[in-house]
Parts: sequence; C-alpha cells; structure tokens
Amino acid sequence: MSLQSARHPDPVDPIFRGLAFAAATTLLLTLGGLIVALMIGGWPAISKFGFGFLTSSTWNPVTEVYGAAGPIVGTLITAVLSLAIALPIAVCVSVFLTQYCPKAIAQPVSTAIELLAGIPSIVYGMWGLFVFAPWFARTVQLPILTSLDPESFWGKLLAGVPNGANIFTASIVLAIMILPYMSAVFRELFRSIPPQVREAAFGLGCTSYEVVGSVLIPYVKKGMIGVVMLGFGRALGETMAVTFIIGNSHRFPDSLFASGSTLASTIANEFNEASGVHLASLIALGLVLFLITFTVLAIARALLSSQRY
Amino acid sequence: MSDTDFQSVITPPPADQLVLETRNLNFYYGSNQSLFGVSMPVKRNGITALIGPSGCGKSTLLRTMNRIYDLYPGQRAEGEILVDGENILGPKVDVTALRARVGMVFQKPTPFPMSIYDNVAFGVKLYHKKSKSQMDEVVEKALRRAALWDEVKDKLQKSGLSLSGGQQQRLCVARGIAVEPEILLLDEPASALDPISTAKLEDTLEELKRDLTIIIVTHNLQQAARLSDYTGFMYLGKMVEYGPTEELFVKPKVERTSDYIGGRFG
Amino acid sequence: MDRALRRKFANQAFVVICTGAALVALGALALIMFSLLTKGVGGVDLMLFTADTPAPDSPGGLRNAIIGSILMCGVAMMIAVVIGVLAGTWLAEIGGDTPYGHVVRFLNDVLLSAPSILIGLFVYWWVVVPMGGFSGWAGAIALGILATPIVTRTTEDILNLQPNALREAGMALGASQWVTVRSIIWKAAGAGMLTGGLLGFARISGETAPLLFTALNNQFLSFDMSKPFASLPGAIYPFAMSPYETWNTLAWAGALLITLAVLGVNILGRWLARDKDHK
Repeated sequence: MSLQSARHPDPVDPIFRGLAFAAATTLLLTLGGLIVALMIGGWPAISKFGFGFLTSSTWNPVTEVYGAAGPIVGTLITAVLSLAIALPIAVCVSVFLTQYCPKAIAQPVSTAIELLAGIPSIVYGMWGLFVFAPWFARTVQLPILTSLDPESFWGKLLAGVPNGANIFTASIVLAIMILPYMSAVFRELFRSIPPQVREAAFGLGCTSYEVVGSVLIPYVKKGMIGVVMLGFGRALGETMAVTFIIGNSHRFPDSLFASGSTLASTIANEFNEASGVHLASLIALGLVLFLITFTVLAIARALLSSQRY
Repeated sequence: MSDTDFQSVITPPPADQLVLETRNLNFYYGSNQSLFGVSMPVKRNGITALIGPSGCGKSTLLRTMNRIYDLYPGQRAEGEILVDGENILGPKVDVTALRARVGMVFQKPTPFPMSIYDNVAFGVKLYHKKSKSQMDEVVEKALRRAALWDEVKDKLQKSGLSLSGGQQQRLCVARGIAVEPEILLLDEPASALDPISTAKLEDTLEELKRDLTIIIVTHNLQQAARLSDYTGFMYLGKMVEYGPTEELFVKPKVERTSDYIGGRFG
Repeated sequence: MDRALRRKFANQAFVVICTGAALVALGALALIMFSLLTKGVGGVDLMLFTADTPAPDSPGGLRNAIIGSILMCGVAMMIAVVIGVLAGTWLAEIGGDTPYGHVVRFLNDVLLSAPSILIGLFVYWWVVVPMGGFSGWAGAIALGILATPIVTRTTEDILNLQPNALREAGMALGASQWVTVRSIIWKAAGAGMLTGGLLGFARISGETAPLLFTALNNQFLSFDMSKPFASLPGAIYPFAMSPYETWNTLAWAGALLITLAVLGVNILGRWLARDKDHK
C-alpha cells in the first residue's frame, strides 16, 4: 500500500510502451500489407491465367497473354549460376584471409571487402553493361560462335547474339556482386571457431588443407549453408545489376548465352508502361518472387539459428 | 636474490632412457622472451609433469615440443629440442610427421564436428590407408585405451559434440593415441573437468604411460605428485628444478621450489 | 611416403588455389572500382552540382537529382529511425521474449532481406495508387521501409549488449522504464545506434529499384515532395540505358558520387563503432 502510493507511476511509461509496441507492430503490418498488396494486385492475372501463369512462357502485351515461366526460370538459372561461381571463390577468399594471408594485409583487405559489399547494385549493373558485356562479346562469344558447330551440344548450349547481354554474363555480374558479402560472412564464421579446434587439428599432424576441409568447414557447415541461402536470396531478388545486362527477353532461355529476364528485371522494365492485366501480371510476378525468396530466407534463418558452437 | 636470478637444478633420468630433450631453449612471442635457456630431459614411457605459477612458461614449453606455435607468425624458438636424438627445430623438419609422433591434447576438449568414430579415425586416415575392419579395430583399441569404449560403443555414429566434457576430453586422448604417437602432450587437460571426470582421465593416463611418454602441464600440485614420475618446476620462463617427482616434492633442492610446493607463493 | 607426398601436394595445390581465387576476386572488384573511377571522374565538374539534368546531347548536371536524393533519404531516415529505434527497443527491453516478439523479429528479418523491388510494389499499391500519382513522399516511404529493419536490428543488438546492471541500477533508483531507457540505456548505446542509422542510410542511398515506380523521376529541381521526384539512382538508370553519350557520362559521374557517399557513410559508421568492435 505505502509502496504503491510512495511515488506516482510515470505517466509517460505506458505511452512509451504503447509507442514501442506500435512500432514493432508496424513491421508486422508492413509485411502483411506487402502480401495483401501482391495478392490483390496480382489477382486479376492469377484468376485469368490460373496455374498456367506459372507454366506458360508466353509473355505478350499485345495479345494480353502472360505466363511467368520465362522469368521464373531466368531467375532461378541466374541465381544458381551466380551462386555456383561465387560460392567456391568466396570460400577460397575467406580461407585465404583467415589462414594464409599475413595479418598486416588480411585486416585492410577484409575491411575493403566488407566495404565493397555495400556498393549499390546499380554500379555493378553499369559495369556489366558498359565494360563487361562488350568485352565478353568480343573475346569470348565471337570466337566461340565462329569455332563451334552450331548443331553440336556445345554449339547449342552457347548459342546467342554476340552482344554480351545474356543469362551467363548476368550471372557473372551477380556473382561478383554477392562475392564480397559472402566472403565477409564466411570470414566471420571462420573467425568464430575457437582457436583450440584449429590447434587440435594441426596437433594431429593435419596439413592446412586437411584442417580447413575436414575440420573447420564441417565445424561451421550449418552456418555456411545459411549464408549460402542468404546469398541465394540476394541473387534471386536483385534487380538493377541484372536488369542492365540480361537482355530482357521473355522467351524461355534455350542456351547459356541467350538473353533472358528475371522476375525482378521484368517488373523493373515494364511496370511504368503497364496497365490492366499486364500490370496485374507484373504484380503477380512480384508475388512469385516473394514466395521464392521467403522460402529461401526461412530456410536460411532456420539453419543459421541452429548453428551452435 | 632477485627474482630472475636463481640456480637451476636438473636431475636427469638415465641417459639411455631419454626420449625427448630440450637444450638451452629460448622462446619469443614477437620481441617478448618467455622461455630462458630451458633444459629438460624427458624419460621414455612414463609421465612427466610441468608445474609452476600461471605465466611461468610451462604451456609455452609444451607447445614448442610439437611446434604448434608455428601457426602463429612472430612466435619462434631458439635452441634445441631433440626427439630421439633429432633436432625438431631444424628448418627441414616435416612438422606434419613430427605431430604424428608428438600428439597433443588441449585444455578445453576439442572434438571435431563429426561422429565419435570419425573423430578417432580422422588422424589415422591421414597417415594410413586401412580397410573398414582394420579401422574398426584401431578405433576400438584407441577408445579402450582411453577408457571410453564401454561408454560409447553403442553410439559410435553420434556426434563427438554430444558427449559430456569429461568424455569429450577422453575422446581427444583417444584421437591423439590412435595415431600411435611416441609422446603425448597434455596442456592442463583436467582444468575444465569435474573431479570424477578428472579421476577417470588420470586412470587413463596411468594406463597409457606403460608404452607412451606423457608430458602434462598442470596447475594442480596433487595431480602432479599423484601421477608423474618426473616433475619440472618452472618460474618466470626458467626451469628451476627438474627431477624425480618424489625427490622434488619431498626434499626439493631449491628454496623457491619448496616455497611453491609449500604454498608460500604462486 | 607416397601418402605423405600426396598430402603435401594436395595441400600446396589448395594454398595456390585459395590464393589465386582471392586474387581473382579482388582483381574483379578492383576492376569495377577502376572503371567507376576512370569513367566517373571525367564527368565530375562544377556543373555537376550546379546544373539540373539536361536534355540529350546538351550540357547539364545532377543538381536536382542530388538534392532529391538527399531530401528523400532524409525523410526516409526520419521514418526509419523513429520506427526502428522504438521497435528495436521494444524487442530488446519489453516484448522480445514473448511469442509475438519472436514473430516480429522473424518478420523483421524477412523485411531485412526482402528484394527491394517488392517494397517498391508495396508502396505503389498502398501509397502511389491511393494518392493518385508518383511522388517524393512515396519514394521516401519506400526507402524508409527499407532502412527500418536495419535500424530495428542494430538497435536491438546494441541494446542487448548493454549490461543488465545498468537497467537494474536505473530501476533501483525508482526510475520508470521510460526514464531508464531514455536517459541510461539509449545514452549508453548511442554510438552503436548511430552506426545502425548510418548503415541504413548507406543502404538506401544507392537503392534504385524501389524508386522506379514510387518517386519516378523529375527532370527539374523541385522541393515539392507530393510530385514526382528526382533522385540520383533514378537519374542514373535511364541515363545509363540511353544511347546519348552526355547522359552516359553523367550516369557514371552519378554512380561515382553515390559510391563515394556510400563508402564514406560506411567508413564513418565503422569509425564510430570502432571501440565496440572488441567485445
């Protein structure tokens, strides 16, 4: 009794708690609002084309027939390809930085890599369009085109207009873009391993290759898979780096050097000219993209949170 | 008598029983010298304990014996460490092969992120190609010698990380001896363990010492007195007194040793 | 012996591969920076900051885009800091351990890594369409939504690092939770929270995709955020895609400006957080 009357409770306290709660709830509402917007906005397209929206590769604004298979496949191929390129390199970079590189160099290089991870994707896209694509067309695509039999397996796999704007170059630019991010997080993971584990492995007489391959990487395996999934999520949703260089054609990609499109690049390219079913189809593409990235993120999160040391 | 100026009394084991000997060993962390002319002759098969107050250099000395300090640029050793008469500090020494002969167990248990079986088999696979049944034998033998077999024989495929701390430490011992080293270095292996696990580990070491040279760093004087045949007392990076454990504990020749053992400092 | 040799060889090959990969990766990144510098520096002059975006093949600058970016990012950061700090504080100090707290934390993680173009769609649907057109406000809201989860996350992380003794000491004096948080916890965590804000700022200042159909673009200098609004990324994108060389040059100069700004803000954030690094 006396305790309660000794001091008036701070009247601001409930307001503060209420505001903080409201702010936390805003996050929930934002995500909920995003899903609602994508569903309502995309509904005309989904109801019109049904399941075929996912399987058809026709994307024709003139006849008003839209199918997402081209962009979906383009998104998955570029993301998987870029990951396949970036993952081994990122592992090597982080191993190099934590195991082999002299300390005096490792620190500044690591910082530089972390800083590069923050560079806007539009920069990567411009470099891809102006520098990398022309170089690639000149020194890789043209020689291949002239030397390969177009009917052979490789000829078919590598067929395409030699302008450097294709699925393969887009994947490389994407890979370069996610490289600093993945290298930086891998390095953090390696550094989180207690030094005794490394010493114990060396103490058995392991070479550094055996220490890294058999002990250190398994030690952070779950965390690494989580990071890979996060990198994958980034590659899936990346817009600008890809839009510049993928060639933006809605065909179902039939070769590695064919131009293509991704979910994000299609939305970015066509949204401002679209209306009616076209607009709804673009929003439905957004919904597909959301579902794919959400799944990947949820898996990544589950794996990362189960990494215990 | 100043702190750094004291005599060093070494009572070596018989010369024909030596397996490892450090001669006039100096050690540096960058420009900081942490070992000063340490000479330590170690007897084959048996337990040799290193005692001394923290920071005296006993762990540093242990870490020179399989050159694990090589991992850290800036750390270097001068002098000689003879293993079976061969100086392991020489530039042409294959440290990988050296570490197969001189194994190490650390203060904290360090099971690798793999199954119990693979933890033990891991080191063996580095050096020998063995069939499944041969490997099964090697693993069982190592686990038995480490007195862990009965506790884990039904869950060999479970993760090594799933064991208790004391079991993990004995797993690390099993992993170390599966390679069949001549010498096993233990750096305060019981400091993270409860008394019961410690007793089990000590039993294991008693068993192993018949055909293995064990060098153990410990901050626990009773443990050193209980376990070891020879003991070295270190202080401020120097070997103050080294000799048979009974002599060192019962009638130490150096005053500082008796002060430390009597609990007057450290 | 054969086995030992093979192991040694495998190890040496591994070292060479790792070193080589590191060189390739660093080389690629250096190449990009080199292109950016050489192509961007040519377009940097006084006019870049004093003139507005020009018609094709005529001289001009990026003044309207720079000012537009600063304004939109400023408003976005105000939104993000208010919501993010409060939400982060709620997660760390009030409701983080409740089931609802776990849900909010998970959704914040989802927002944190959601493709930015989806945030653009969200704002288009809930702001641009109801308001009847593209606007600076819509762009600022989109950027704000991108920065909010970053601020939320860092705020929560930094507050969790504060020792419980601080909270108990405040409460023991009879201070309310609000007073404890405001005058003790937030103060102690100030530098870290500022870093979080800067990281959020760095992230959104280069974002292009969410602006494409929220703020759109504006060729002229404007301070009216209820109208389509210029931004650096919004100007760079069409300029880079265009066939006109003057526009391309401006795009590179703009990309250089953004990159320098992002790097500068990141370095500032790290510098502020440098003492917290050794935890």
